[in-house]
Amino acid sequence: VKYVDEFRDPQLGRALAAEVLSLVEPDRHYKLMEVCGGHTHSIYKFGIDDLLPENVELVHGPGCPVCVIPMGRVDDGIAIAHQPGVIFTCFGDMLRIPGSDGSLLEAKAAGADVRMVYSPLDALRIAKQNPDRDVVFFAIGFETTAPSTALTLLRARAEGVRNFFCMCNHVTIVPPLRALLDSPDLRLDGFIGPGHVSTVVGARPFEFIPADYGKPLVVAGFEPLDVLQAVQMILRQLAEGRCEVENQYTRVVPYEGNTRALQVMAEVFALRPHFEWRGLGFISQSALRLSDAFADFDAELRYSVPGVRVADPKACQCGEVLKGVIKPFECKVFGTACTPERPIGTCMVSPEGACAAYYNYGRFARERTLV
Amino acid sequence: VTGEHCHPTDGCITCGDEAVALAVLAVDEERGLALCSDGEGRHTTVEIALVAPVRCGEALLVHAGTAIAHAPGEAVA
Repeated sequence: VKYVDEFRDPQLGRALAAEVLSLVEPDRHYKLMEVCGGHTHSIYKFGIDDLLPENVELVHGPGCPVCVIPMGRVDDGIAIAHQPGVIFTCFGDMLRIPGSDGSLLEAKAAGADVRMVYSPLDALRIAKQNPDRDVVFFAIGFETTAPSTALTLLRARAEGVRNFFCMCNHVTIVPPLRALLDSPDLRLDGFIGPGHVSTVVGARPFEFIPADYGKPLVVAGFEPLDVLQAVQMILRQLAEGRCEVENQYTRVVPYEGNTRALQVMAEVFALRPHFEWRGLGFISQSALRLSDAFADFDAELRYSVPGVRVADPKACQCGEVLKGVIKPFECKVFGTACTPERPIGTCMVSPEGACAAYYNYGRFARERTLV
Repeated sequence: VTGEHCHPTDGCITCGDEAVALAVLAVDEERGLALCSDGEGRHTTVEIALVAPVRCGEALLVHAGTAIAHAPGEAVA
C-alpha cells in the first residue's frame, strides 16, 4: 500500500512542467479537455494550470455526474419523495441540486423523508430495516457508479427484498464526448480521459476519438503528477504527429476494463433511446434504465412522475461551462448570485463541478481581478 | 450535507465519480464483503464481487461502497 506523497513530489512536478514547456510550439494555442469532474477538481485544488505555459488551456468537460442532471429529473425525484410512505435516498451532492421548485433538501425540510446515503447498499439496508415502506434510491453517475447500483439490485433480488426501488439516472461517457466533438462551438486538440470510469469500461471505447476525429486521448489518474503527465503525453503525441489512446493510469486501469462489472451492468441495465443532459440537450443512447428483468424494482414504473422537461434558469450558463465554451468566471452569475452556499446551476453544487472548483480554490478572486 | 466521510470542498467517497483507494483489513468471502480502511484509519464495509479474490493488506479502488479495481500501485489517501 502506497501513500500520496510520491504522486505530489514538487521536484518531479517541476521536471514535468519543464518537459511540457519544451513540447509546445510558442505560436500555437493548445486546448485540452479534461473529461472528468475529478480531474477538474484536482487541477484547481493543486494549481496544475499554473504550471502550464499560457498557450496550453485546460477546458472542462461534462464528466461531473450531478452537473449534467437536468432540472426535470430533479423534479421527478422530488415528486416520488413526496409520495406517502416513501423513504427517498440519494448521494449527498444530489440533495442540493435545484429543481424548478426547490431541491431535495428543501423537500426534506417540507416533510418528505429524504436521506443521504454513501452507497446504494446503504439504501438497500434501509429497505430491509423498513419492510412496511417503499425505499427509493436515486441512482446517478457514470460507469464508475453504475456497477454498484447493479450489484445492489442483484443482491435485492437474491435476498427477496420487495420494497426497494431504483430511479435510474445513470449515464454513459462516450455519447456526450461524441456530441461534443460534433459540436461546431468547440475546437479541441486532445482529451485527458476519465481515470475511474476507465477502470470499468477500459480505454478501448475511446479509440473512436483518434480514429474518427483525429484527437489524442490519455487516460489519467487524479493525483497532480498524474494530470501533469497526461498533459505532457498529449503534447508529446501532438509534437510527434501521433494520435492515439494512451493509458497514463496503468497502475489501476486495464485496457479492457473490468469485464465482470460490464457483465453485471449488461444484466441489470438497458440503454435508453435518448436522455436529456443539462447544457447538452438530448443525446441518443447516452443513459441507462433498468432492464425488463428488473422492472419490478423500477421506481419510474411504480410511481407516476411529471416527466416534464424544464428549461434551466436564464441567468445560468452551466451548459456553456459543461461544453467548455466558457470558463466558470465568465458566467454572469458566478460568485455573485450563484455560490456554493446558494447555487443556481449544478456546476456550483458538487465539488467536482467546474464552478465550485474555481470558487473553492481561490480562482474566484484571481479571475475577477483579471476581468 | 456533509457526513462522516465528507469534506466541504473535497466531497465524499460517493458524491462525485471519483473513487478512492482503501486498504483491505479483513475479507468475508461468503458474503462477498471486505472490511477496508482509508489512510486516516476510518473503516468501511466494501462489496468485492467485481474484484474477488481479495487479499488482506492489498489496496482496492472503491466507489459507492463497491470495489471496482485492484489498485496495487495506488495511494491510500
